[in-house]
Amino acid sequence: MVNKKGISIMLVILGILLLFGGLALFLLTNSSNGILSALPFIMIGVGCGLSGQGIGELIQHQRLAKSPQLAKQQANERGDERNAAITYQAKAKAFDLMVYIFAALLLSFALFGVSAAATLSLAVAYLLVIGSRIWFAVKLNREM
Amino acid sequence: MKNRLEALRKQRGIRQEELADALSISRQTVSSLENGRYNPSILLAFKLARYFHLPIEEIFSDEEENYGE
Repeated sequence: MVNKKGISIMLVILGILLLFGGLALFLLTNSSNGILSALPFIMIGVGCGLSGQGIGELIQHQRLAKSPQLAKQQANERGDERNAAITYQAKAKAFDLMVYIFAALLLSFALFGVSAAATLSLAVAYLLVIGSRIWFAVKLNREM
Repeated sequence: MKNRLEALRKQRGIRQEELADALSISRQTVSSLENGRYNPSILLAFKLARYFHLPIEEIFSDEEENYGE
């Protein structure tokens, strides 16, 4: 089984490979249309993100290895039921807000005559979110 | 819900950090419990009761009830 440190190192390596691969693709090809024009930038972006996350995790791992007290404190923070309750409540409030924002955006798309494809995509996304909320409510109602 | 966690902790000369460590919770949770801002789950209430070697009802009570009576 690969440990957390191993995963972080792999993330850094993968990120650096993607970053340099993207740079090489950008410099060596001169395709100005289609997906190839965007691919180098996507690779650079994802590469930076992955390597940054991996480096961050490695630094954190090193710090925690030096300080068992800090490691214990962090483990307590992660498993803390009040923190979990706060996270769930914050998510619930953000979801309620998102439903109104989605609805307002949908209405403004329709009123300002934005293309039918964009409006319909947003409507489908809105219905998916609302549908998944109902599905989870029914599922949890059966389980709890 | 009321509780007398702060009094019990001080009686035993324990710091909030020590209580938090012993129960694997954060210090902020101990503080919120003591201030009555957060009501614990039944599992945490049992953990606290075990820690102080007291029945739950001697630590927690609802608003109208008196402790241990």
